[in-house]
Amino acid sequence: MTIKRGVSFYSYQQEQFFRRMNWKDMMRELHDNLHCDGVEIINEATIPNYPFPSQEFIYDWRNELAKYNLKAVTKDIYLDVHQFRDHVMNYREAAERLMYDIKIAADMGFENVRCLCMVPIEVIEMALDTAVKYNVRIGKEIHAPYPIKYDPSREGGRMVAEIIDFVDRTGTKHVGLVPDMGIFQIAPSRVNVEYQLRNMDDLKLRDFIEKNMNEMDGKELAAAIDKEFPDMDSMQKRFLGMFTRGPAAQPEDILEIIPYIISIHGKFYEMTEIPGKPGQYEDVSIDYENVIKYLKQGGYNGYINSEYEGQRSQQDRGIENLADEVEEVRRHHEMLARLIGE
Amino acid sequence: MFDSFLIREDSLENVYDENGKAVGFKFAVRIADYRGAFLSLHNGYYIECDGVEYPRELQKFEVNGKPPRTFEEIKKCVWEHWDFDDEAYVYVEKEGGLEPGKHRIGLQQSVLSQYGYMPWDEDWVKNPPVPGQGAGAGKTRRICYYDLELI
Repeated sequence: MTIKRGVSFYSYQQEQFFRRMNWKDMMRELHDNLHCDGVEIINEATIPNYPFPSQEFIYDWRNELAKYNLKAVTKDIYLDVHQFRDHVMNYREAAERLMYDIKIAADMGFENVRCLCMVPIEVIEMALDTAVKYNVRIGKEIHAPYPIKYDPSREGGRMVAEIIDFVDRTGTKHVGLVPDMGIFQIAPSRVNVEYQLRNMDDLKLRDFIEKNMNEMDGKELAAAIDKEFPDMDSMQKRFLGMFTRGPAAQPEDILEIIPYIISIHGKFYEMTEIPGKPGQYEDVSIDYENVIKYLKQGGYNGYINSEYEGQRSQQDRGIENLADEVEEVRRHHEMLARLIGE
Repeated sequence: MFDSFLIREDSLENVYDENGKAVGFKFAVRIADYRGAFLSLHNGYYIECDGVEYPRELQKFEVNGKPPRTFEEIKKCVWEHWDFDDEAYVYVEKEGGLEPGKHRIGLQQSVLSQYGYMPWDEDWVKNPPVPGQGAGAGKTRRICYYDLELI
């Protein structure tokens, strides 16, 4: 048993936007070129007429999985508390939405649903019987800036402990965690930095950052900017956070949660060739190597599903500057297969 | 996201009433979110055309093969969905429509999608954000500009 590879169709959102790939094309890419079998979707983006998929779609979906011998691993679901607009959705209503999404997941053959960091544990508890009945596990995402280690002083610093306590207390096998590799981000990604700089209104600030970002580390840069530009607005401050934030978790933290992991979001922004190693790729902003080392050490044998996000930072210019999602995911799988040791 | 592609380049045209009089203009839009949205969450647009702002009250939205609806009507479509793949049309009321030629349109979409409960939830029920301020602007928070030609 080893770590398995998959792809979240989120990675191909731009191809879908420009109508160059539909979900069947994505499945074919997994089978023919990536030689992996794990499928993850964003429920609303893939299911036509969500939340009311037709019988025809369900059959078509399951047939296509069978055609390529693919596995429906995780379906990502959401919590839009303003859906009804005349009131904020209460916990019982949120649980109804969750239970309904679990049923759709079961119809489509998914083993898991991924719910968001901010879904209250009470809502998950209310949906647990449905998860058991349909044998679909609920995985709560650990997304940056949420850490793995318990730290009540940090945003989301109680979440992982809350899920672990819940699982240990109830003994359920139907609740767990979905860590996003973004929690191991060690540096801002080039594509995100360049997007922010291209779209910065304050040209003096932009020049200052461009001049100094390579010489200073994140904290030094933030301090220098604070001194030079005391009247920064909140958007610009958010941008600075990209440099100073640091990783939400350390690679070895993953060892604490391995039995609770349902699947992993293989978040990445840009795959570049490793200097001196033709044909081998890395995302220099995320520490995959050490995380996968600990996952292997801890005996993790579930899926890592690629979640390419760098395209979004390259859509503010012309069509000629768009990222190549298909190539990025292929490179990501070169890296995954190599680090897993296939 | 999709900053340069939220409006289809060749989609700007005038809208005429039954007597052939130009009563506004329209253009084709896509959703600035990777997942689409429940239609009720769509809260209108910040729109400026050649420097003039056209508030939400002058806008209608056409999607899912139904006639253009006001954003007060859209708000009630709690089980209808604007799918990620689907193009929609924004209609803007403007007596006489637009002159033929180039026009510069600034756009920010307001979709009240969220990832769970937030401190401002109750306030947004009573006072939904006015498009253009960034709040509720989803995945594309800046105002994006498009140079479009009306033929």
